[in-house]
Amino acid sequence: MTTPTSRLTAVRRTFDGRLSDYVVYLGFILIFAFFAIALHDRGFLTPENLGNIGRQTAMVSIMAVGMTFVLSAGEIDLSIGSVVALAALVAAVVLRAGQPIIAVVAALAVGAAVGLTNGLLTTRLRIPSFLVTLGMLGIVSGLARVLTDLEPVPVTNETWAFIFGSGELGPIPILLVWTAVVVIVGHVVYRHTPFGRHVLATGGNRTAARYSGIPTDRIKVATLVISAMAAATAGMLYAGRLQGARYTLGEQDLITVIAATAIGGTSLFGGRGSIVGALIGSLIMGMLNNGLLLMGLSVSEQIIARGVIIIVAVALSLREARA
Amino acid sequence: MSPRLERVEEKMTARRLASVALAAVLSLAACSGTPGASGGASPAGSSSGGASVDLNAKTVGPNGEASTPVADVPELTADEIAKIKEGKHKAALLWAGSGTWYNAANGGAVDEFKKLGIDVVATAEANFDPARQATDVETAMALKPDIIISLPVDPVAGKEAFKPAVDAGVKLLFIDNGIDGYTAGKEYQSIVTGDHFSMGIAAADLMSKAIGDSGEIGYIFHDATFYVTNNRDRYFKAAIEQKHPNIKIVASQGFTEEGKTQEIAAAMIAQHPNLKGIYVAWSAAAQGVIAALREAGRKDVKVVAYDLDATNDLDMAKCGNMYGVALDQPYLEGQVLARLGAGALLGKTAPPFVTVPVMTETRDNIAQVWKTDVNADPPADVTEALKTSC
Repeated sequence: MTTPTSRLTAVRRTFDGRLSDYVVYLGFILIFAFFAIALHDRGFLTPENLGNIGRQTAMVSIMAVGMTFVLSAGEIDLSIGSVVALAALVAAVVLRAGQPIIAVVAALAVGAAVGLTNGLLTTRLRIPSFLVTLGMLGIVSGLARVLTDLEPVPVTNETWAFIFGSGELGPIPILLVWTAVVVIVGHVVYRHTPFGRHVLATGGNRTAARYSGIPTDRIKVATLVISAMAAATAGMLYAGRLQGARYTLGEQDLITVIAATAIGGTSLFGGRGSIVGALIGSLIMGMLNNGLLLMGLSVSEQIIARGVIIIVAVALSLREARA
Repeated sequence: MSPRLERVEEKMTARRLASVALAAVLSLAACSGTPGASGGASPAGSSSGGASVDLNAKTVGPNGEASTPVADVPELTADEIAKIKEGKHKAALLWAGSGTWYNAANGGAVDEFKKLGIDVVATAEANFDPARQATDVETAMALKPDIIISLPVDPVAGKEAFKPAVDAGVKLLFIDNGIDGYTAGKEYQSIVTGDHFSMGIAAADLMSKAIGDSGEIGYIFHDATFYVTNNRDRYFKAAIEQKHPNIKIVASQGFTEEGKTQEIAAAMIAQHPNLKGIYVAWSAAAQGVIAALREAGRKDVKVVAYDLDATNDLDMAKCGNMYGVALDQPYLEGQVLARLGAGALLGKTAPPFVTVPVMTETRDNIAQVWKTDVNADPPADVTEALKTSC
């Protein structure tokens, strides 16, 4: 790893990484400023509304952290939405039996089991994770439907609702605390541990990574487990926030998560990414939903505007990689 | 990388940044050109309602058929039942979607078919995709059913989708939606439906009760072409405007994805802090609205929607934001469809358009409504919550 070329690549990568972070921040500030001016009399800047954006993006932010790991390792996880639903329902059913701690364990176990299966199938059978997790999406959402025969399950445990959804620590909504914890831990692991470097090496150049002694298969399995467990965490937060779980939870989240991650500067082809960028990407998505809504656009207009801005934002943050 | 290259790259990046930033602002500005023109914060939502709707109009079938109240549909005689049982008939149930309501309709049909000795050979759900429903019909036809009960996803595409069944002489019966170009007694036997006009009006009356017949409300409607929800939304709005003039719809916003109502409701209460109530197009979509109200600490804002839902009923039982829902009777609808289908096999002419009466559910009648609506008891935690008074 000390050849002049690889050092050059490393320098270049750091440079690119910093630049893409900067671009994401700029995009964030730009969109924020635009809404702040355009919606100055329509409630965009009120503390309540900004709090809304923070809370609404919490689940996507957490899943985007997981997705950053998976994408950086050169894989993808399409099953996250279904894990959200199954984990939320499992938690709600266990909670009904009055077992909050077992509910947490069970929901996380759902994530771990799905992630591990995804990982082992991908690495052992050499099936692309795109196809493995696509299949898993079907299996897990089917299980979520069967579990309660399509019936929603209310969550009545108030402690659970507080910890995983509607609680506040002082003035800070608990969902923001969860986001912060997951993003900080994710960032530290991603940027400052050997594991994080191995993830990037696996996704950047798998052959080179293997020759330098990195257990690339184990790394891939680990990232898929992280992603599914992040989705399970999001499922618990949904159950807490909505005080109930149903099989449709998370259905629409996959595209938002991938968009947020890509806007944040994570390459869809591995080797490059940013956890903080993913958070900013998620906030951009949330801000767009909120701002376009406050503007009074119809659903169709919102969808078009969102599409345009996503392309622009991704063009900004990802094109740098090829520069 | 040489310093020269680096500088060039920086310059290019700066230029690209500037141009893309400009494009972003332009595209945003272009989109904001018509604030409130459709949907949005203006009272005139894109699901047009208002003065043109005649609240006294009777629900009629797709070809203007008068409606037959479900109570007037005759039972089958013992002889008829015996004859049907001999036939060893088969039925397929092809639904549009899934959830509590569909479970109840399905349950009603399955129970009735069981009594009549008719075998349910296929059950499918199209997830609101017309193409998927066409496939479901084709697949079910392989099992040679004598009766198909369905909720057509798309009245236009349905014409082609159900053609294999029509051609094979299968007795077709529909719930809620009809199919354009089909005539009762020819392509299909009957439509059994909730009275969606009355449901809209009942929801408006519930809202009026919830907020003391005056004040500002928000209106969250289904922004897609779907017969049932469009009619309910339209009649709710018209009934508010015509029957309850002291109630003002000050915020109006459509949605297509159930999961989006939370954002919509949060924005609504931020922009209109005086809201006393929020109407939302169905119960699963109400869950997001309630979550938004809870987070904003707005226990005072009442929510009205449609259809039974365990989670919302729990909120209602716990004296939360959920005030009430208007509902039809899916279990009964399923039963009647099965009975009419069986009758048609004996050559009996079914009434072309059957309606079941509207019911309303508030905290005082939850248990009773569960029994009538879905033929089940409410979940234990709902019953438990009802024991403490508000």
